[in-house]
Amino acid sequence: MKAVGARFPRYDGLLHVTGRTRYVDDFKVPGMLWCRTLRSSIDSGRITRLDTSRAEALDGVYAVLTHEDPDRNVVGHLEDLGVPPDMPLLAEDEVRHKGQLIAAVAAESEERAQQAVDMIEVDYEERQPFLDIRKAFDPDQPQVTPDGNVYFYDPYDHCRVRKGDVDWAFEQADVIVKGCYRPQAIEQAPIETQAALAIPEADGKMTVHSTTQAMYFSMGIVAKFLGVSLNQIKFVGGTVGGGFGGKVDTAVEPIAALLARKARRPVKYRSTREEEFLALWTRAPWHIEIADAVSRDGWILGRRTLTLHDAGAYTGFSAYGAMKHLHHSAGAYTIPNVFMNSYVVYTNHVPTSAMRGFGVTSVSFAVETHMNRIAGELGISPWELRLKNGNRIGDLTPTRVKLEDPSTVPTILACADAAGVELPSEYAQMTPGERSGELLPEHLEDQLGKADAWRNR
Amino acid sequence: MRLMVNGAEQEVDSGPLASLLHVLREELDITSPKAGCQQGGCGACTVLVDGKPQRSCLTPLASVEGAMITTVEGLGDAGELTAVQQAFYAKYGAQCGYCTSGMMLAATALIDATNGDGVTRQEIEEVMGGHLCRCTGYVKIIEAVEAASRGETFDLEELRRAGTAGGEETMILDTGGQS
Ligand code: FES
Ligand code: FES
Repeated sequence: MKAVGARFPRYDGLLHVTGRTRYVDDFKVPGMLWCRTLRSSIDSGRITRLDTSRAEALDGVYAVLTHEDPDRNVVGHLEDLGVPPDMPLLAEDEVRHKGQLIAAVAAESEERAQQAVDMIEVDYEERQPFLDIRKAFDPDQPQVTPDGNVYFYDPYDHCRVRKGDVDWAFEQADVIVKGCYRPQAIEQAPIETQAALAIPEADGKMTVHSTTQAMYFSMGIVAKFLGVSLNQIKFVGGTVGGGFGGKVDTAVEPIAALLARKARRPVKYRSTREEEFLALWTRAPWHIEIADAVSRDGWILGRRTLTLHDAGAYTGFSAYGAMKHLHHSAGAYTIPNVFMNSYVVYTNHVPTSAMRGFGVTSVSFAVETHMNRIAGELGISPWELRLKNGNRIGDLTPTRVKLEDPSTVPTILACADAAGVELPSEYAQMTPGERSGELLPEHLEDQLGKADAWRNR
Repeated sequence: MRLMVNGAEQEVDSGPLASLLHVLREELDITSPKAGCQQGGCGACTVLVDGKPQRSCLTPLASVEGAMITTVEGLGDAGELTAVQQAFYAKYGAQCGYCTSGMMLAATALIDATNGDGVTRQEIEEVMGGHLCRCTGYVKIIEAVEAASRGETFDLEELRRAGTAGGEETMILDTGGQS
């Protein structure tokens, strides 16, 4: 264990400071073409006409890609986990968000590719967009998908966690503390925009230099769009100029690969900063409502939550992100009775995806802000409230995981120390050890017993 | 047109309005300046023009005829790292590395202008504030620039062995890192 706790220089640091690290954009091969894309200028509408003929006829243009080119145009990022695929790589008869990809061009230079993109003619029949997740259940709002505005988690239209007897908790409560939290969309904005270089090899295979954060995942996605098996594709990657979650989306690799196949030439697609901001997936905006049943002496007896997750126009990873979010909705605290629902809502925003703690950071923000609100309403110390309710060895999480090594107590004590906060000794000396005495009130004693009470109601 | 880059004269074909970034990367294969935004917003494309930092994405080729252009490839003597490069390496000023070239050149110009008097945190923040880094949170970068401005140097061999006290072999470093 000589490595743990020791300081190592960065393994790639010398390459970075000499400018020798080779990122995807630093690779160049003979005959390489450049890609530019045509993206929807409207939030929602039908495509009534798409004419690429002038672009195709332009000198120096080698391929123009539309929805007709991929072997499969609709591939779901989580289809292998049973989430139905819904997003076309290239829009066919409709667009559901501004920036949605409609066509792509490979040409001898970026300028020429852009000229060709500007010559593509597209007509829309615009529709009223749906943009406010809070109106998800209003049937008079525009419907984003043929199946409505809410993702269906079989057998419910939401994912849910139930534990204990939440009605009992709210009947017992001295105070009910409510709060609503709305973290907004954030673009991951790595300094290196998403880029790919696809090289068709002489033996029919395809080499793809990629900025992906998820090599094998991205390979699988590209293989599906191309309609080939994995052994027909070689990915080169691992050197990423910042990702922060935004580079799991495999947005540029399929386009570069399909263009390269069609043009029979290597194609580089370096997305522009505008595309990063307008068209590539962002962290999701959320609407999070929490109501807690609290006793005057600072026990959280029960919690109800309702979360709306803005998936944007297609499912992407949202079905997973909202579930992960939900499972963390009690935060690092032991709340024996919970009733928590999370909805994935479609809107005509750009699809949303991972960013630094996919789904969890949003709920952590809400939960921790809510803890301060509870402490304020009860007039007790927010530190003591957290320590008292913090996860302990043997506690059950809302999803009924028995905790063996929870870090809530040491983490909060370390924060108090760093903030220079003096705690009363019974708190300052707290450990994560099993509950006993004052820290084991009746409602926590039988948290195991009550866990299934709701089934009998 | 003729261009002086890292001490060597180069003949380039691009037109007078081509961006210096494009000429460096695509014509001359000098890839340390990065195309982070191509609109003057991030600083990743920064190079030194006659010793002064300039965003090469917004620099038309015609405006640098006859000027001395320096990129990271031209820093220091062959095989040696400058104080700025050493400090960025030793003090973790580079994480993904994409902003690093621009950061180091801006720092180099700032330190050169102060004749070794050392620079303050405030000066660093003012001069380098237009350089975006999404990884580090800036603290390590500022610490690296402060160290370099004080003339601190680092024993790179020593660093390579860091964390291996007790005689264990380095594993990752010895492979030389990425391609
Ligand atoms: S690429 Fe020049 S400032 Fe961003
Ligand atoms: S080190 Fe990644 S952007 Fe600065």
